[in-house]
Amino acid sequence: MIVTLGDQQSDLALQADVCVIGSGAGGAVAAAELAEGGRSVVLLEQGPHWTAADFSQREDEMLPRLFEEGGLRQTRDGAIQILQGRSVGGSTVHNLCYCLRTPDAILRMWRKEHGLAELTPEALAPSFARVEQGLKVKPIRKDEVNALNRLVRRGADSLGYSGFVTKHNREGCVQSGYCLLGCSYDAKQSMLITYVPRADAAGARIYAGARVERIEADGGRVKRVFGHGVSPAGEVRGSFEVSAKAVVLAAGAVNSPDLLLRSGLANGSGQVGANLHLHPSVIATGFFDEEIHAYRGIPQSYYIDEFIDLERDPHSGYVLMPIIAFPALTAAMTPGFGRAHSALMRDYAKTAGLLVLLHDRTSGRVASGGSQAKPRIDYALEARDAEQIAEGLVHCAEVLFAAGARRVLIPYQPEPLLLERGDDLTEITRRGAAQGQLTTASTHPQSTCRMGADPRRSVVGPWGECHEVEGLFVADMGVFPTSLGAPPQITTAMFGDRTAHHILEHWKRFET
Amino acid sequence: MSGPRHDDSWRRLTRRAFLRNAGLTASLVALAQLRVAPAALAAAEGVAGPSVLSPQSAEILTQIVERMVDSEDPRAPAVRETRTLAAIEGVLGQLDPALTSDVPFALGLFEWGPFVFDLTFSRFTQMTPAEQDESIRCWMNSRLELRRLAYAALRNLAFIGYYSQDGTWPEIGYQGPLLRGRAGA
Repeated sequence: MIVTLGDQQSDLALQADVCVIGSGAGGAVAAAELAEGGRSVVLLEQGPHWTAADFSQREDEMLPRLFEEGGLRQTRDGAIQILQGRSVGGSTVHNLCYCLRTPDAILRMWRKEHGLAELTPEALAPSFARVEQGLKVKPIRKDEVNALNRLVRRGADSLGYSGFVTKHNREGCVQSGYCLLGCSYDAKQSMLITYVPRADAAGARIYAGARVERIEADGGRVKRVFGHGVSPAGEVRGSFEVSAKAVVLAAGAVNSPDLLLRSGLANGSGQVGANLHLHPSVIATGFFDEEIHAYRGIPQSYYIDEFIDLERDPHSGYVLMPIIAFPALTAAMTPGFGRAHSALMRDYAKTAGLLVLLHDRTSGRVASGGSQAKPRIDYALEARDAEQIAEGLVHCAEVLFAAGARRVLIPYQPEPLLLERGDDLTEITRRGAAQGQLTTASTHPQSTCRMGADPRRSVVGPWGECHEVEGLFVADMGVFPTSLGAPPQITTAMFGDRTAHHILEHWKRFET
Repeated sequence: MSGPRHDDSWRRLTRRAFLRNAGLTASLVALAQLRVAPAALAAAEGVAGPSVLSPQSAEILTQIVERMVDSEDPRAPAVRETRTLAAIEGVLGQLDPALTSDVPFALGLFEWGPFVFDLTFSRFTQMTPAEQDESIRCWMNSRLELRRLAYAALRNLAFIGYYSQDGTWPEIGYQGPLLRGRAGA
């Protein structure tokens, strides 16, 4: 049973072997594995508990329910919108289900440059296998590739660009297309319907609306977790306290460092909150003659990897992914106003989006906003990364034109660049892609509690345990030593699984 | 929802926080609440017009929305025939008061901007549609960050409010949710 603390005024004091903070891809997996391994577990989720019955397929209702800060989270300069999940299941409730393992070249780089000798494909294979089984990962069938993705593939193929149809974690998908707004059919195998119920069945006590405000350590060991219940409307309820022998922090790469900083823990290196990567993304929109209705069907299945060669350079590159948005968000993200804007909107059903997702070298920082304030996120796109985004947008335009688009929109602010077939695409690189020039978003903040062998350069060691606090683990995207350069769901879940099994195997150390 | 708010806060020119925050990302916050409590409540109670904004601010906002979504297509619903403004008020009613208290400020800036910034001897609501478009363009391209941010904030509110209306979907070819018949949807 999931208890909603946002409904309760009374104070709560709990004891557990392990307290897990956050129910997304890392936390839910850790909680289930630990509970099934025989440990008593308390799982705390700040956001509400929504279910399929709440997922109305309306963007005006669902976006605020599912996202941190109601969708307001952004870099401090307002240039990059940051979309992270905030409900039971975390970002897995709204993600689009790309399922890729950590690239071997990235693991090799993490071993070489961050001293993480343990991170070999062979050593991680059992964790990958477990989470892929737990999430029912399977190839997307040919007949499940929707019109948007078929069209993008057609464009990429005609240009000879490398790409492939990925795996996904859906079962019995009805292809409604509303994955972004939560699956109304419980077909998406998000944490909400997989690992969270498993944790529940294994006896974990699960609390939604549980905002953790402080972690306490004593004598170099983690001791307790403190916080308050919070209603979906943000009203503060009763307090809670969880005493635990181990704590797994999996609140995401913004909230986890914020919590560590507020708690004054694990930051002797000064690395907590540092090294932020965002996978910044910009969407190019193609306008076609025929109706596509890109919002129907599985939103993302094709993946263009032509422009990322991690074997050659594990630190840079970008991938291209098909993308959709619903009308209100599309209107807001399309620059301009008035008749020109309305004319673009009139072609909504004939549009196809293709985004550049950058494997960024730029390094930002998350700083604590204090006990109640929001975390501050600073990120200034480096020139070489901006060049890559501009180059990526050129290739997006190429692919869309090759697929048959008659026009392509590049979302420069305040007025878009509209390219006609035959136009010189280098206009994009001439204008550039400096921060603030283009409508930009991030769904993959990472690396703010990075893993490494050297305590001077990292926050957690090779198994996710904080160098400075025994029994305090981090198991979310924050532990990635660098930008991942790939969709992160499976890597994050793998770290959750691996952390849990490490705790189980070494439990005597925490018990004493 | 609280009662009407004072409408003179636009005179305080130091409030940049709202305008900064309500740029690109205000779209999602706005999206968030259009059909949640305030808008739904307003519909259920048969509330005819806006209540968060003063009539003067509501008129300025309505005219801004009309120019933002202006369409040549006769099928496009007129702003005043939709519940766009009620939806925007629903958004505002759900946002942090630290942000929404600056909406009248931003609207006041828009109303008097032509006179203050552009040396045009007319208020926004007294202009012709073509003049209003030109005025908005001045905000959009202004060298003053404050004006560009005000443009971005009001623009996003306008689009979120308008394109969340089911009546606008046929014009753009959006077929809408598949769960329309479901209770609560």
